[in-house]
Amino acid sequence: MNTVSIRVQKRDGSLVDYDGAEVAASIADAARGLDDELTRAVQLQSEVEITLFDRIGTDQLDDAVIHVALANVKDDPAYDTIAARLLTKKLYKQVFGDTHDLFGDGAPETIRQLHALHFPGYVERAVRAGLLAPELATSFDLERLAAALAPERDDLLRFIGVQTMRNRYMLTDEARRPVEVPQFFWMRVAMGLSLNEADPTAVALELYEAMSRLLYLAAGSTLVNAGTRYAQLSNCFVMQMDDEIEHIAKSVRDVMWLTKGTGGIGLSVTKLRSEGSPIRSNNTTSTGPIPFMHTIDSTLRAVSRGGKKFGALCFYMENWHLDFAQFLDLKQNSGDPYRRVRTANTAVWISDEFMKRVAGDDDWYLFDPLDTADLVELYGAAFSRRYAEYAAMAESGELRRFKKVRAREQWKAILVTLQTTSHPWLTWKDTINTRALNNNTGTIHLSNLCTEVCLPQDADNVAVCNLASINLARHLVGAGRGARFDWDLMARSVRTAVRQLDNLVDITASSVPEAEHANRENRAVGLGVMGFSDVIERLGLAYDSPEAWDVIDEVVEFISWHAIDASCDLSRERGPYANFVGSRWSRGLVPIDTLDELERDRGVPVDVDRTARLDWDRLRARVRGGVRNATLMAIAPTASIGLVAGTTPGLDPQFSQIFSRTTSSGKFLEINRNLVADLKGLGLWERVRDDLLRFQGDLSKVDGVPQWLKDTYRTSFQVDPTAYLHVAARAQKWIDQAISRNIYLADRSVGAMVDLYQLAWRMGVKTTYYLHMMPRHQAEQSTVKVNKAAEIAGAGGGPRRGFGARPAATAVAPAPTPSVSIELEVDVVDGAACPVDPQERLQCESCQ
Amino acid sequence: MTSILGTGIQEGLLLKPVTYRWAMDLYDQAVANTWFPNEIQLGEDLADFARMTDDERHALTYLMSYFNPNELLVNKALAFGVYPYVNAAECHLYLAKQMWEEANHCMAFEYVLETFPIDREQAYESHVSVPSMAAKEEFEVRYIRRMTEDTLDIATVEGKQDFVRNLVAYNVILEGIWFYSGFMVALSFRQRNLLRNFGSLIDWIVRDESLHLKFGINLILTVLEENPEVATEQFAAEIRQMILDGVTMEEAYNRDLLPTGILGLNAQVVNDYVRYLTDRRLEELGFEPEFNVANPAKWMAAANDTFELVNFFEATNTSYEVNAQA
Repeated sequence: MNTVSIRVQKRDGSLVDYDGAEVAASIADAARGLDDELTRAVQLQSEVEITLFDRIGTDQLDDAVIHVALANVKDDPAYDTIAARLLTKKLYKQVFGDTHDLFGDGAPETIRQLHALHFPGYVERAVRAGLLAPELATSFDLERLAAALAPERDDLLRFIGVQTMRNRYMLTDEARRPVEVPQFFWMRVAMGLSLNEADPTAVALELYEAMSRLLYLAAGSTLVNAGTRYAQLSNCFVMQMDDEIEHIAKSVRDVMWLTKGTGGIGLSVTKLRSEGSPIRSNNTTSTGPIPFMHTIDSTLRAVSRGGKKFGALCFYMENWHLDFAQFLDLKQNSGDPYRRVRTANTAVWISDEFMKRVAGDDDWYLFDPLDTADLVELYGAAFSRRYAEYAAMAESGELRRFKKVRAREQWKAILVTLQTTSHPWLTWKDTINTRALNNNTGTIHLSNLCTEVCLPQDADNVAVCNLASINLARHLVGAGRGARFDWDLMARSVRTAVRQLDNLVDITASSVPEAEHANRENRAVGLGVMGFSDVIERLGLAYDSPEAWDVIDEVVEFISWHAIDASCDLSRERGPYANFVGSRWSRGLVPIDTLDELERDRGVPVDVDRTARLDWDRLRARVRGGVRNATLMAIAPTASIGLVAGTTPGLDPQFSQIFSRTTSSGKFLEINRNLVADLKGLGLWERVRDDLLRFQGDLSKVDGVPQWLKDTYRTSFQVDPTAYLHVAARAQKWIDQAISRNIYLADRSVGAMVDLYQLAWRMGVKTTYYLHMMPRHQAEQSTVKVNKAAEIAGAGGGPRRGFGARPAATAVAPAPTPSVSIELEVDVVDGAACPVDPQERLQCESCQ
Repeated sequence: MTSILGTGIQEGLLLKPVTYRWAMDLYDQAVANTWFPNEIQLGEDLADFARMTDDERHALTYLMSYFNPNELLVNKALAFGVYPYVNAAECHLYLAKQMWEEANHCMAFEYVLETFPIDREQAYESHVSVPSMAAKEEFEVRYIRRMTEDTLDIATVEGKQDFVRNLVAYNVILEGIWFYSGFMVALSFRQRNLLRNFGSLIDWIVRDESLHLKFGINLILTVLEENPEVATEQFAAEIRQMILDGVTMEEAYNRDLLPTGILGLNAQVVNDYVRYLTDRRLEELGFEPEFNVANPAKWMAAANDTFELVNFFEATNTSYEVNAQA
């Protein structure tokens, strides 16, 4: 590429000749310490130069270098590190001011000094600009905080982590320019969560240490708003529409305000009378819940959360509602748009009674909530009794409006809809209510946006949960069979997180009075985990192995124990939560104790291992004396903060060993670094990487890879689906709320789904979340060799050779293919069976 | 001996037993891939459109000018040049779905033209007035025109060769090379996090086109296999040259599409990609490759080659399927 004629346009408009040396130096700096750093730098420089054009801007040149680095990630994750460092340096340049060269002076000491120098000014300017709360400038020893900043921790971040932070969490000015660098961001969040402490500086330092090291992360809303003027720090809100026009209108209003505050919402519509149900006040009939749901759906797009995302809300409905079939249609991709919700999600709230009727192939009755108002409030055996009474009333003609279907028919309809539209998510009302320790304030009517929260609410209380997540990957030391958890560090992280979450309850402010009220009275928090798959791989365990399930059981028990213990300490220090008296905590119960309760109530065993390793008697005694928080744990999806933490989200498996991730920041290639490290250790990486991409990240299809490696590194679609339930059920023993359980299926048969979700209920899983189906067909791949021409002499029934068959057409023309059963022939080439479908043969690289 | 070619009105009326399983499977998959343009909210991309440079907007407009009429051109090629001459019911089923998909693509591009502030008159006009674009269209029309002349006799070698010529012209060259080159440019915007909803449309369209290509290539190969007299030395050379001529036309077109270059892409890169694709198409037809170049767009691995894990709150999942069987 001739770069002589390329000029770069600087920000002031002047043109300078493109200087390859400057670009090379920046790339080399970003590649420091990586293997092959010089080769990589040269390669990237030449690849950048291919795409240059005359008058390219300096910002564009920065971006071009980053994009070229990212494009090479499929060949080595080291390029991701280069891209991450380049992006971080771009941020340094933007925040600390322009320097003479492309990405700024990269010497670590210089960077450290720049951080310390600029930090106090950043806080003061941001306060003056109305971005940060005034206390940040007045209640802290800014010099002391500045001295503690550790920019070397920026190296912990992956590219997508930096990009996510920049696009979603970090502060920008009115012109959308960044005003924070990553370490400022962590410190600002830490400060914003220490405002109520007696010694805010000391606690801010403690929180900064934990979060900047990625030991645990606060959840989205907290990261966006902590320390700002608009301190809406809570993540999850749970509400219900009453069957009354004023409350419906209020719900719409509340959804707007909560969405504006960046919160996610769960909204139950079960109480709304069904379509055709009489309305006495104006002598008409109701249109049912669906049109109101469409209204709210439109609201979600109208109010974007902090200008960064659309509103996010999940509708819940119990499946005995007369309009349930219409509820199932809400997410179809065609049909009357007024009866669809394009933006909102949907979940079904299922009773034990329904599950038993499915098992027994009984009838299932659907009612108008106007006639059966108490069903919403009842759960467990009480619900079953009352439901049976209503069914009898229906049969005897006392209820005019009802429908009767076979339970299994509706069950199948739910699962088919789940497979084709990814909704509704299945959640189990009675498992949740019967096991709740905070059940003294009322019934839990629904879960939340991401199906991990279990909190009661009513007309005076919009339930609120505040979330954080422990990064398991950062608590594992070593690799291979010698790897072990640093339990002391984990205990410290848990206790720090719980304290921070409790602080949050007093600092956060919401524009919905019912939410403020519920938050202060209950102080519900949800500490979760992320990085499970990451640690399992480093331990050399398969996701679907009993050893892996033991790991999650042990880890979650540990975290739960320490979280509850920390809450007891806080209760001593600050007092128990307002609704403590009357809760099961106050009667000395802990989460594991409610499994037997559930079994008794539903009369069906809860199929999960009951091993306990820690001293729960000690905690039972302590909780009786007071806990600070109504709930302690919930495992959220952590889809976004997992990216920042640089680990696998929640309890999710590795989606595939190489895949692309689509977020609002862009579409990025992700490659499993643990696998690459293991392959490099075996000297196999260079040989295997193209095949890995060709096979959509499925290691099992790649030749020459040892079986033990294939066993450890399975894709989400290869993992035995019941493993998702085992992992969830073992964790669920200890968790007082629930888990956002993503499930991945390759098998499209509805029969398999029926069995799987029934097993989930039997094992005591409280909720499930998205169902991902393995795509059967992808677009033709671009960067791997498709349809290699390795000529095979045409034998009878062999593959077609097209124009390559001539001029020997008379001699070796392939025999005519038999008319009907083409698909029964199986050829073997190179030890691998040929795809029988001729269309697939076209793509199979063994033949042409 | 089975024959996929034929014109009998009363033939190919019974679907079962299926002769060409590949066509049946393609039909099933195509049905499962059904999507509609209004599943995404293109209006959300308007802010991006406003921020793009003139060169970027030019590239996008140029693409729209090209794609829109050509989807309908493919429809005509199918209606006049393929459907009447194919015998098997399963092939007709697939062709019917493909024709609907071309219509759906046309609607998708109409949606783009309606949403973005693109001068529709100017956009439409350039496919006639811009020489490099007109040349491509003239090339295609030449072959379709031949297929509509009623002197075409599919029972003769000449007739069969005309059939194959038409398939190569619209399926291998237009759909398999020219469209793909355009998709690559369209997807490049999303790599810089621009026009994400538009990117979803392109994902779906590329997914459809991959099946169109599979069908067309299978059809050509089946015809050649069942009619070995068709692939003479001379005919093979003609087809190969046709494809290479298509590349030359595309290279000129791309220089007009990107006169200067945009971030991450210039005409040279796109044309290298065209040559890379062309080699693939040649090999799929049983020819030797011509150019032997590497794919310059490594970022297509992220854009196109892998399963995508979508954050459902932030993007549209383009890999779901409909029509599940209970």
